[in-house]
Amino acid sequence: MTEIAPREVTPPPLQAPTAKEKKYDRQLRLWAASGQRALEESHVLLIVGDENLGSNSTVAGVETLKNLILPSIGNFTIADSARVTDADLGVNFFLESDSLYKSRADETRRLLSELNPDVTGHAITTHLSEWLELENSLQPYNLILICAPISLEYLQQTCAYASENSIPLIYMHSAGFYASFSIQLPHEFPIVDTHPDPESTQDLRLLAPWPELEAAVDSIGDISTLSDHDHGHIPYILLLLHYLREWKTSHNGQYPSDFKEKTEFRDLVRSGARTNNPEGGEENYDEACASVLKSIAPPPVGSGCKEMMNMPSCTQVTAGSPNFWIIANAIKKFYDTHGVLPLPGSLPDMKATSTEYIKLQSIYKAKARADVAEVTQTVRQLENDLSRMSTKIVDSEIEAFCKNACHVRVLTNPNNASIPELRLAISDAKTFAGLPGLIENDWEGMLPVFIALDAPRKMDLSNLSEDADVQESYEKAVEEVERVQGGELHNISSVLGGMVAQEAIKLLTRHKSSTQMAQHLNGR
Amino acid sequence: MQRRDRGVAQSLGGPLTKRVKESRVLLVGAGGIGCELLKNLVCCGFGSYQSALPTEDGTETSPAASHVRKAEVVVIDLDTIDLSNLNRQFLFRKQHIKKPKAFVAKETASQFNPSVAIDAQHASIFDSTYNVEFFEGFDIVFNALDNLAARRHVNKMCLAADVPLVESGTTGFMGQVQAIKKGVTECYDCNPKPVQKSFPICTIRSTPSQPIHCIVWAKSYLFPELFGTSEEDSADMAVTEGDNAEEVAKLKEEAEALKKVRRMMGKSEFAQEVFNKVFHDDIERLRSMTEMWQSRKPPEPLSFQSLSEGPSIVKQGQTLALQDQRAWTLLENISVFCYSLETLSNRVQGGENVIEFDKDDKDTLDFVTSAANLRSHVFGIPLHSEWEIKQMAGNIIPAIATSNALTASLCVMEAFKILRSQPAKANALAEPTANNHIPTKAQSTAIGKPEELLGGSKMVFLTSKNTDRLITSQPLVGPKADCPVCSPVYAKLAISEERAETLKALVDLLKRTVGYKDFSMTTEAGIIYDPDLEDNLQKPLSELGITGQSNGFITVTDDSDEPKVDLVLSTTIRRSPVDDAEATGLQITPKKIELPLKPEAAYANGDMDGDAEPEPVFASSAGAKRKRETEEEVESAKKRAKSDVYVVEDDGAILLDD
Repeated sequence: MTEIAPREVTPPPLQAPTAKEKKYDRQLRLWAASGQRALEESHVLLIVGDENLGSNSTVAGVETLKNLILPSIGNFTIADSARVTDADLGVNFFLESDSLYKSRADETRRLLSELNPDVTGHAITTHLSEWLELENSLQPYNLILICAPISLEYLQQTCAYASENSIPLIYMHSAGFYASFSIQLPHEFPIVDTHPDPESTQDLRLLAPWPELEAAVDSIGDISTLSDHDHGHIPYILLLLHYLREWKTSHNGQYPSDFKEKTEFRDLVRSGARTNNPEGGEENYDEACASVLKSIAPPPVGSGCKEMMNMPSCTQVTAGSPNFWIIANAIKKFYDTHGVLPLPGSLPDMKATSTEYIKLQSIYKAKARADVAEVTQTVRQLENDLSRMSTKIVDSEIEAFCKNACHVRVLTNPNNASIPELRLAISDAKTFAGLPGLIENDWEGMLPVFIALDAPRKMDLSNLSEDADVQESYEKAVEEVERVQGGELHNISSVLGGMVAQEAIKLLTRHKSSTQMAQHLNGR
Repeated sequence: MQRRDRGVAQSLGGPLTKRVKESRVLLVGAGGIGCELLKNLVCCGFGSYQSALPTEDGTETSPAASHVRKAEVVVIDLDTIDLSNLNRQFLFRKQHIKKPKAFVAKETASQFNPSVAIDAQHASIFDSTYNVEFFEGFDIVFNALDNLAARRHVNKMCLAADVPLVESGTTGFMGQVQAIKKGVTECYDCNPKPVQKSFPICTIRSTPSQPIHCIVWAKSYLFPELFGTSEEDSADMAVTEGDNAEEVAKLKEEAEALKKVRRMMGKSEFAQEVFNKVFHDDIERLRSMTEMWQSRKPPEPLSFQSLSEGPSIVKQGQTLALQDQRAWTLLENISVFCYSLETLSNRVQGGENVIEFDKDDKDTLDFVTSAANLRSHVFGIPLHSEWEIKQMAGNIIPAIATSNALTASLCVMEAFKILRSQPAKANALAEPTANNHIPTKAQSTAIGKPEELLGGSKMVFLTSKNTDRLITSQPLVGPKADCPVCSPVYAKLAISEERAETLKALVDLLKRTVGYKDFSMTTEAGIIYDPDLEDNLQKPLSELGITGQSNGFITVTDDSDEPKVDLVLSTTIRRSPVDDAEATGLQITPKKIELPLKPEAAYANGDMDGDAEPEPVFASSAGAKRKRETEEEVESAKKRAKSDVYVVEDDGAILLDD
């Protein structure tokens, strides 16, 4: 199996910011140097189908490439044996009048290449039958895009290759107002930086304090003797920890667990606020009360992380395991030992004096560093045991994993299922069996788009539903697709190109989870 | 032979293709979304009609033709191209850096489809040239802007001109599109927008506790005091109730003293003087106010002499300034501080009188980073790298090609629906807007059925959280009856250039044509007339800033017990000759204005609550309810359909008769 884990996380460059960093500044703030490096190491193949219907979704394909070339993928290749027609000129921004009758692959490659000198473009102008059969013909690529329609034979061949080699594949189709795309994911596709909602990432460990944090609570001493100023500036985290101790003494050493107890606990905290001041309360107590329901909870473990820890790839690592799984194994060991994940270490803003805040911040940071150190040690041990010392995993990759551990997710394609379009085309029994249910529950009325665009021509569409209106919607959709004769509407292909590229970026940078659903668009 | 526009014609159908080709389109902004929009407009044939059939000598053929609205795309942008634009603004290349965006965008896009007429203007949309009449000349307007002020301005101009507006924006992986039409949908200002956060002045100037406080201090206080025009007030900080008046007065003195230091710019000891003033003397003064530090850690002043290491310091600063990914040490910050101060001083000496902070102007960023870090050090706050400070100081919003491409194409999709639903404008210069508050028959049937608004156009969101559904939409909602921007009736005031009319003439005209009794008038400058304010009555309108050439508005407010909605007048130059029988050179169009009553909630005292809100808002809550139901349906549909072919996406049905 080939390497499918995230590529090594590059540490932020310590050298001068280059013109290149400046150029990509606005996107680096989204997917960081690690994502950018993965993007620049990628080679994307665009296969234009051989059925030569209208423009064959080439506008959607070329728009997708445009959106990938701008942020700087490393290489792209366009495989298209057609020649440029008049109709192409009117709808494809990356062709010009002089392109007429020339190779469409060559011409679009040339004009797309102008967009970004950092990217190298290639063209394959021969027919699929001539090059696809060659040995290792698909070997250079780590993402395959297919512009439909395409002969079943080549679709099958390409999907099988992608599946065997654990690379993602995206199938897209655009005609008139209709468009759709599907992603075929590899068996396992791990994502470390899932960009979780910042609200959900807070992990304060209030119910699992460690000695240094306990000591900070001790150091407050007797709250009742503090001056009004000091009392009003105790960071709310310490307040909560202080009142949790009080609660435990009167509740058999138990923490508040259900909603009712948490509400009672909140009342206990609130009762401690001093109200003999002009404001009639204290801001730090308000903050403490406001966060009770959210932060009085056991340390979180995301569902994606739990699933990951149970996957065989995690529990049974080998010398050939990708970095991701080596670290995942170490994280699991950490979790099994401590019952918690490594601490992310970040602290929300709160009412406090600068000194107190910084003190508290360093307690959290120190704990996070210690946790990373422990995981790193396990990783090194594993590397030693598996004799993979030559490919040492860099510290920053381990650190990034620890920080995001709770939200890590492994996208899976359990049975290596191919895209629904292909399953339909080969009359897959299971897919057909599921179809009536889909048709019945298609409350948004988008299934006709999918069926009209991609159902095999031999498929019988005359009896899809007993509901006359529903049946008619299928017939109308089919008519619409026939009416446009494969002609693309630039704007719809541009929407499709945007969507496909958006998902491709997520897959290539390994940032955020991509969609696993077939997506359909009716631009009417 | 296949025609070039076969794809477009085949998809859109005959009538809509014609509308699209004949349309006159305004695109405000040629940045991230703007470039994509221009490509889509050009590739879909917008504004390609006239130039597709050019006359032989290129001039108009008959006198009648001079009234014909020219099909074209007008693109306006004030900005020039920067290196950091090139990762997404695909009409620009490296050799275009520093050139105006509008011109380059036109040049690149024209190469694709020479038959589309593109008129590029390198200007600000706030210019008075772009008045209500200018906006009336378009079938549709696209906003592709990056700031609130311009968005709100175009929103108001489109409401006044009664032209449909497609508003859009992106942040990182997210995006949003909203169609707006006067009297039909919500406008941009129907929902309040978050205002920029402002810090209490004493937090910034005396008691910072977070890095952002020090950054705001460096960027909005120190930098303008040294390099900006003085007396600039920044929105970043304000005197608030919590601020101590005595301390505020002291801070004023402190700023005065800094101005004296500014006069030493150009002398060799300048950097040292600035440094000692702000990191030593001012800090000593703060420290001396012992009551301030009873419970806080007092700041530690820095001394330039004991820290600096001689003349090589500037040279070191220059090298260090290139390392923007790690936080500099105290000494390194001093080096960069001296280096940037010298560079900026040289620029001032070189004739650049005023320098404004700009995150992409490296010299200013170096200065703000080092000054903010030095202040952080003084107050025991963690230091940050230049890269991090740039994001905080420059309010940088992540921007990527994909989101812009998607959002721009969704805009054009909404535009198709709008053009389909709107009757074509007369092929002549538009008659002044009719009484646009009262819904026309077609529109009034739509109220309560919000999904039918504007040809089924929807509010569209590019979402980033939900991976099952990449684009979500919700029905457009009718206007808020108490929206200060779109609830008034908009009309026009034509002002003769021959006669210098007074405010009294306008007051009389309003009484006569609208039937006002007690009312007041407000312009951007403030109240110019109310029943108790008669000082201005004899003044010529021009003295009050009201001319036919401005793009400002006059708001007329009914002060009676049962008030009508506000009347908002835009001004134009009167073209028709003044008839001697007329008493005035002023003319209000439309001639007959019927103002509906103001909804009670808009002027009643006290809180408004949901129950009291009038009908269109009811439509909005119905819309929200419908959305909830929809989401539940998705959930249950998901549960039922246990297969991974799952169908999602945009739209219901808009039937096209073609």
